[in-house]
Amino acid sequence: MSAVWLAPRACSVIGAAHRRQGKPCQDASLAKELSGPGGERLQLLAVADGHGSSRSWLSQRGSALACQAAEAAVAEAVAGCPLADSRAWGELLAGGLAASVHSRWREAIAADWAQQHPHRAMPLEPVTYGCTLGLVLLAPHWWGCTGLGDWDLVAVDRDGGARLLSEEPSLGPHNGGEATASLCLPQGEALWAPRAQLQPLAGQPQLRALVLSTDGVRKSCASDADFLALCGQVIDLQSPQELADGLEQITRQGSGDDVSMAVGLRPRPPARRWPWGARLALALGGAGALAGAAALVLSGRGLRPAPAPVDPVLVQQQALCANPSTIRANLTPRRAQLQQLRRDPAAAAGLLANPRRDPLGALLARSQRGDLQPCSALEQQLARLWRETGGKMPAALARPDERPPAGGRPAAPGSR
Amino acid sequence: MPFPNVRLSKRPLHFIYLCDCSGSMAAQGKMQALNQAIRQSLPGMAEVARENPEARVLVRALRFADRADWHLQEPTPVQELQWRDLEAGGITAMGEALELLAGVLQSPPMEERALPPVLVLISDGQPTDDFETGLATLMRQPWAQKAVRLAIALGHDADLEVLQQFIGPEPPGGGRSPRRPLQASNATSLAQYIQWASTAVVGAASMPASRVQAVAEGNANIPLPDLPPTLLDPTDDVGPLVW
Repeated sequence: MSAVWLAPRACSVIGAAHRRQGKPCQDASLAKELSGPGGERLQLLAVADGHGSSRSWLSQRGSALACQAAEAAVAEAVAGCPLADSRAWGELLAGGLAASVHSRWREAIAADWAQQHPHRAMPLEPVTYGCTLGLVLLAPHWWGCTGLGDWDLVAVDRDGGARLLSEEPSLGPHNGGEATASLCLPQGEALWAPRAQLQPLAGQPQLRALVLSTDGVRKSCASDADFLALCGQVIDLQSPQELADGLEQITRQGSGDDVSMAVGLRPRPPARRWPWGARLALALGGAGALAGAAALVLSGRGLRPAPAPVDPVLVQQQALCANPSTIRANLTPRRAQLQQLRRDPAAAAGLLANPRRDPLGALLARSQRGDLQPCSALEQQLARLWRETGGKMPAALARPDERPPAGGRPAAPGSR
Repeated sequence: MPFPNVRLSKRPLHFIYLCDCSGSMAAQGKMQALNQAIRQSLPGMAEVARENPEARVLVRALRFADRADWHLQEPTPVQELQWRDLEAGGITAMGEALELLAGVLQSPPMEERALPPVLVLISDGQPTDDFETGLATLMRQPWAQKAVRLAIALGHDADLEVLQQFIGPEPPGGGRSPRRPLQASNATSLAQYIQWASTAVVGAASMPASRVQAVAEGNANIPLPDLPPTLLDPTDDVGPLVW
């Protein structure tokens, strides 16, 4: 049987600012293949981002130890839980792995503190090693993710479209700015569940790759559309050096922060298996082949007609509607794009002209024109976003009581 | 296709002065001292920007007297900034200034990837308009909530209570703190605070380390550097109070 996932890859590169300041790279990453007792294969992707503040002065050690703790915890889980039991793995992603990783990480930083700093009389404060941790597990029949902190996970589809699958939820007004959840928090284990998900591969034939990254990558991109495009490009790199060189450029021309990416890639689908008659026709070559192929078509046993071109917006819509819990996370970062569409309706033309470049942007443009038939979850979130970004919704997405009467103006406030 | 083939961007850091230009600022050379302090701080600020090339430090200034309006409306790279003197005259429309500020802290025009902005409110008196409404309007903006908000009180007539409301909750304990209004009693201490805000704070905000959620650091989005010693420090010689 051919591999479901190709060999994973991961890379961390020191930030341009850290290099200039003589600081270490506080990111760590990992891509490993683990084996279960029955020979089952599970791939693990991990990225960890040390906080780097003066209080977290050993966070480069914390992030490295976090990846090691994750590998040990997942290896133990693989040994004890069949990959076919997706329900059990869903529970592990939502809680069991969190407990195991936190416990191992706390033990590891305590040992590190004792070994490296035996002269220090003061007790260890976990914030000294504070870091985020994002994990992706790639099994033969499903993929899952979990962790905590400001990492991002993006899906890249076979048509090149990319969509955000997981990002850190808003931390509220008193935790804005650069605040993030951390392994060092006492309540850290409870923060994994909202980021945990397990998705069967059976329902995602379009899925080509999963791209996990630390926040330095997204913050280096001019917009979320650029970030998604970047994730679409990284899967085509041929060598680890290309990835390292690209990350070096990203931090140098972008945020200056450390940057990490880990990629899980599915193989391209096998070439269509041609019917015996067609293969024979090709072997004959030239006019004979054409005649043979024509005969096969006429006999109804030949090649199927070429499928209709895939509509990237429709694929995007189906992907969102298949995972309603991801809709909000994907749409919310597009506020600025919606406001631009409101100010300049001509901007929609650019998005619609090349929907493969930014399928979600094209979907928003279509929603503005009322040229969309979304599922109810997507419709609700689109309506919310249009309301939040301008107060006035495109008629197609307005609630029935908000739609203007035909040929008339909207009802005045308070008149309902 | 080369990788990466997308738009990469340095993160903008917006630094915005909100300057009281009411008539009382003309007294005792306060306005002259403020103009001089800002002008003299620019080379240091440009040097900090040069040392942190991953941030694009962009300066704006807003003045308020009878009305609030932009003194420097375009976000201007600090290296290109030529300070034009502010002039005093009128009352203290501080609330209107905060509403005007709220308008530019929306997204857009604020960039998705901007660093938390630095807002510096400088005043020697009390608001004469609806400060509460202005502050409420400002604080509805997520970028205002994320901002580093500093306030400098000039002289003894400054309304410390409203300046504290602008900054946010007062930190526990006593003593000087960037989370309290910085009290400048003469031209020297004003210059020190302006220099501190435009260099040490800009440096900290240019390359912020990730802050751990809910770990108390003075409720600060950016861990702020220590304040400079001033003539008001008990350890220093206490000079005559000018303002």
